[in-house]
Order: sequence, then structure tokens, then C-alpha cells
Amino acid sequence: MINILPGIDSTSAALNAERIRMDVVSENIANVNTTRGLDGKPYQREQVVFESVLQAQQNSDALGSAPQTVQIARIEKDQRPPIMVYNPSHPDANAQGMVAMPDISIPEEMVDMIAASRAFEANLAVVKDARAMAMETLSIGKH
Amino acid sequence: MDALSSLKLMTMPQMTAGVNNPLQDAAVAQAISPAEMQSLEAGASTPSASSTQPVYSFQNLLGDFVSDVSNKQAAAGEAVNGLLSGKNVSLHQAVISMEEANVSFQMMVQVRNKLLDSYQELMRMQV
Repeated sequence: MINILPGIDSTSAALNAERIRMDVVSENIANVNTTRGLDGKPYQREQVVFESVLQAQQNSDALGSAPQTVQIARIEKDQRPPIMVYNPSHPDANAQGMVAMPDISIPEEMVDMIAASRAFEANLAVVKDARAMAMETLSIGKH
Repeated sequence: MDALSSLKLMTMPQMTAGVNNPLQDAAVAQAISPAEMQSLEAGASTPSASSTQPVYSFQNLLGDFVSDVSNKQAAAGEAVNGLLSGKNVSLHQAVISMEEANVSFQMMVQVRNKLLDSYQELMRMQV
């Protein structure tokens, strides 16, 4: 296949990774009050770990090294202990009337969300410019 | 198959680019056969030299390019279908493959324009 848009493979992979990061942030925000997760314990905050992948080189005579793309290596649980909140009327309260709530701070998640959306935007700008470069180059032939 | 008849592949039903009538004329298509173009470029006086060359002629290159563009169109269609039918295709993948198809189609149109220009230039030549 011809590679007509420069650098599009890395950018596409990065867009995918940022999308997954956004998914994880939204999951954290959605579960800010979850006292009973899948394992019966309070929900634990998750975060993504990025890693770079060496892409298989398409043509051996290409200049430079093989392009590196990015992907999500794993989604890790944050090991912070839950916050104990006094709320005796809560169904999940213990004998002392304390409820274990997930230690998720909304401002922190918002900052993560802004970072993810800005990174997504930056990669979109790369796509847009790559397209503009290709179209401008093609317009050499027009008269 | 020569250069111009491989360009005829461009007139797939979903593409709107039309092909001018002169292209239908086999004699005209023969007028700038790739073997002649090669011998013109290389300045080789013996046409047998180009016929013994096995694979990478200009017509193969052009045919590969046209089928590449066609593949990109098909991939874009598949991505959009996957997105709309709720498969695991994200929005940016679909849009990027559409853009790739668009840009490579524009590239093919430019190549066609150049070929037609050079053909018309030849036809205008005084003998």
C-alpha cells in the first residue's frame, strides 16, 4: 500500500490510546460514589500506562528508523486506601457507622481529562496538517 | 494491458471521474505504449531490450497504483460500515481512512491529467 499521508500510523495509534485514556477517566468519574465494586469492595481508581511499539518496517529502503507507535500497555489499579466517611444510614456502613468510599478526587480526574483531550487535539492537528501537506503537494501539478 | 487502458480502471461505478472518448480508441492507446515511453526515456534504440525486462514496467506500476487506490476506497467503505453498524471501529479510524482514500484518489486524478496532457501535447505536434 502506498503511504500517502505522512506519519499517519503513529498518529492513529496515539488517537486510539488517548481515546482509551478518556474511557478510563470517565470510568473513574462515573464510579466516584461506588461503594460496592465487582469484587464487593469500594471501586478503585484506574490509570493507563502507555508504551511505545516498534512498527514493522514497510519498505526496507525508507530513510531513518522504523516508526514508533504508542499503545496502552495496561490499565493499573491505584492502590490508595478508601476514605472512611461517617454515614450510619448507608447500607454499606460498618458497625461504627463508617462507609468506605473510593479515594477519587474529581479535580484530579478533570485535569487528566483535559490532558487527554488536549493530546487528542494535538494528534488531530497532525492529521489535518499531514492532509494539507499532501493536498498542497498535489496542487503542484495544477495550472 | 497498457498504461491508458489501466487508467480505464478508474471508471468504477462509485467514482464519478469520466474518461474521455479518445481513450476508447485502441489505436490512440497504442500511440503512447509504455514500451515506447521507456525507449524514449532511456534513449535505447533497441525495443527488444525493454521487452526482455520482466516485471517493473510503467504499466505494472500504474496498475498497482490504481488497484492500491481502489483498495483504499474499499477499506474506507468498510471502516465507515463498521462504525455505523457498531463494530469496534473508532470514529477517527473511519475518518482517517476516508481521508487517505480521498488524497490517494486526488493523486490518481493528477496522474491521469498529466498523462492526458502529454498525450494531447503529442497530438498537437507538427510533423
